[in-house]
Amino acid sequence: MTTNHRARRWALSGAGLTLALSLAACGGNVGGGGSDSGEEFPGGDPITILVGQDPGGSTDLIARAAADGLSDELGVPVTVENQPGANGALAAQSLAGEEPDGHTLMVYNGSLAYITPLAVDEGAVPDIADFDIVTGLSLDDYVLVTAPSSGLATVEDLAAAGRAITFGTTGVGTGSQLSQELLFAQADIDATAVPFDGGSPTLTAVLGGQVDVGSVQLGEAIEQIESGALTPIVTFAEERPSYLPDTPTAVEAGYDVPVQQSRAVFAPQGLPDDVMQTLRDGFEAAFGTEGYQQLNEDNLLTPLEVDGEEIRERWTENLDNYRAVVEEYGINLGGDA
Amino acid sequence: MDLAPVLDGFTVVLEPTNLLYCLIGVVVGMLVGVLPGLGPAATIAILLPITIGIEPVTAIIMLAGIFYGAQYGGTITSVLLKLPGEASSVVTVFDGYAMARQGRAGTALGIAAIGSFVGGTVSIVALSFLAPVVAGFALDFGPPEYTALALLGILLVATVSSGDRLKAVVAACIGLLLATVGRDGFTATERFTFDNLNLADGLDFVPIAMGLFGLGEILYNLEERHKAIQAPTKVANVWPSRQDLRQSSGAIGRGSVIGFVLGILPGGGATLSSLAAYGVEKRRSKTPERFGKGAVEGVAGPETANNAAATSSFIPLLTLGIPANATMAVIFGALLVVGVTPGPQLVSEEPELFWGVVNSMYIGNILLLIMSIPLVGLFVKILRVRPAILAPITVLITLIGVYTVNNNVFDIMLVIVFGVIGYLMKKGGFDPGPLLLAFVLGALLEDGLRRSLLIFDGDATGFFTRPISGTLLVVFLVVAIYPLVSALRDRRRQDPAQDTSDPNTKELV
Repeated sequence: MTTNHRARRWALSGAGLTLALSLAACGGNVGGGGSDSGEEFPGGDPITILVGQDPGGSTDLIARAAADGLSDELGVPVTVENQPGANGALAAQSLAGEEPDGHTLMVYNGSLAYITPLAVDEGAVPDIADFDIVTGLSLDDYVLVTAPSSGLATVEDLAAAGRAITFGTTGVGTGSQLSQELLFAQADIDATAVPFDGGSPTLTAVLGGQVDVGSVQLGEAIEQIESGALTPIVTFAEERPSYLPDTPTAVEAGYDVPVQQSRAVFAPQGLPDDVMQTLRDGFEAAFGTEGYQQLNEDNLLTPLEVDGEEIRERWTENLDNYRAVVEEYGINLGGDA
Repeated sequence: MDLAPVLDGFTVVLEPTNLLYCLIGVVVGMLVGVLPGLGPAATIAILLPITIGIEPVTAIIMLAGIFYGAQYGGTITSVLLKLPGEASSVVTVFDGYAMARQGRAGTALGIAAIGSFVGGTVSIVALSFLAPVVAGFALDFGPPEYTALALLGILLVATVSSGDRLKAVVAACIGLLLATVGRDGFTATERFTFDNLNLADGLDFVPIAMGLFGLGEILYNLEERHKAIQAPTKVANVWPSRQDLRQSSGAIGRGSVIGFVLGILPGGGATLSSLAAYGVEKRRSKTPERFGKGAVEGVAGPETANNAAATSSFIPLLTLGIPANATMAVIFGALLVVGVTPGPQLVSEEPELFWGVVNSMYIGNILLLIMSIPLVGLFVKILRVRPAILAPITVLITLIGVYTVNNNVFDIMLVIVFGVIGYLMKKGGFDPGPLLLAFVLGALLEDGLRRSLLIFDGDATGFFTRPISGTLLVVFLVVAIYPLVSALRDRRRQDPAQDTSDPNTKELV
């Protein structure tokens, strides 16, 4: 596509200029470095990993850590390019328009594959069948928290509150929303969803007692949980995450609501086998690096470094399961019906 | 008050990188202050993308420097060339230029620099004490409080701004409409997205700001015929005499207070406070006839006030996440770009950023005081750069810059569209400021209102039973009703005057 090429050229000159600016201004660091070009992939050309979220978030950090390891292993620069928007659908859209040559990849969020479709119109989310999946990355757990002043500590407390519970979610079509909607529907708790714009505002609202409870990613809440500013009620993992061994899972509490964020590396459809293999090996090496493992630990991520087909199966199964329960309990993630 | 984070803030500022960026910021600020047309909002909007590679605190230190630096720079051309570089320095022209013609240009600049320094410093000290108090209520600020604040903000933006009131209201309404674009955050319904994924998250703030202020201003300025710049009179005798100082000390004191108070109010800011300060000085003076003919108070008051306001307008932004004026709205965008969400928790969660930025203003003001006089000659030379050279370069930087924020070509188109809108607005006499502010506040208002109603279970009286939102709403009502009441009172007062011509009517009533 000509427009795409033009766009790319814009990108390069833009990146070049900012680079020059930041270099001139602060003597910033430029990572990577060229390598001798060869016949085989990657052949000396750089690799771009798209991220559909803002810089600084978990998805971005994971992509950057993996990019570092991959770059060392393959000997070419690997850059992360953020294209935030529409829960990552925007970046997925531009990934689909790229050549399947292994030089453009994306860190894809599971929520976009198996939760967002429940909330938005068909066609507003990409289909994972249109992509090749290189490798799984990791799982991120959701935890239901409340402020100690609420006097609520278990799911039973919530059921016995004798009033409508308000729960903060990190947005429509997120795991935060789905996990709580499912739990409260199954536990037959009268509850109202209050969507916020991301994890940090949700936490603030819970801490300030604006809402009774909220479900956020574990890494975002762990500091407050450890300091006692927040009480964890349940996690939504299938098994207790190693980072929070004393908090029951919703499954243990008797509800069928495993909801986790999952991330994987996607490529445009039609990736040649040898390129796929080289990338897989490259990522495997990256997962072994100390920096990458440290990142998982710091952000309380559970590695799920399985191959692409297993990810595809899991995610498709998740979508089917969620669709079934959501219908069974008459939950509308879109909320206006 | 715990002093440790404040002192840590100084260690942040004194890091060489931060000092360097502070210096860059104030120099760039003075520069754009000198250049007529290109204001601090435009400059910060254009420079937003370069903040991406920099530490957040460093980036904001630089952008803040641009803002208050511009207040100094604007004075220079007002005094020497009768050419206000900044809207906030327009009133300085009256007496500043008159003083220059009397050969007292140096005195005017000196007094302005001293006043600016004092005003800025008073404001920073007040900011240092007030901000943590406001932030102490951080967790009490829930959706209802934000709703009330946003409502108050929009009202003030539309009524207090310095231009035509009706046009400000129109611009604000357009801003509110633009805020509704995007996938509804509560029901995931598409609103005005035309099935375009680029619009799913709504219009992005940065391209709008860069278009309206950056591109729009550049286009508008290209139209203006630029007169040849005369060589400035030689500036000598910068240090004001003892008598000048005595004459202006009161003006500087009052200017500090006026600037500080008006800077905090949404819709206020540097321009409004300089006008107010000039008005106050003229009214208070025993010799009002001197004003416009080189009264030193006429320079000292407004110049002090605009700097004090520039500083104090950071308070609502850094403590509540509510921008008080257009430039603050752009800095709000900058904070978001570097990954910091300004709000009540900023002081406790990011003390280094908060105190680093606040304390950098002390340093920045000292730098400005030292530099402003010796660099006058240089800045005046810059005025000679032809717009034909400057404009294309700025446009290029703007367009490339906006691309680098989200790596999205769509944003380039948005800048161009909003550049044209900004140009047309300026031509039609509409200030784009209220549009941008209403755009920011509109999203806050809608989300806050809907969240509140969910929390209150649909019962709107909840807004009035919570102490903070209740108080804010009362203030809102007072501000909304006061103009009506005072208009009514004016009519009453006029009535007796008319009554004298027809005394019977009054008695009959």
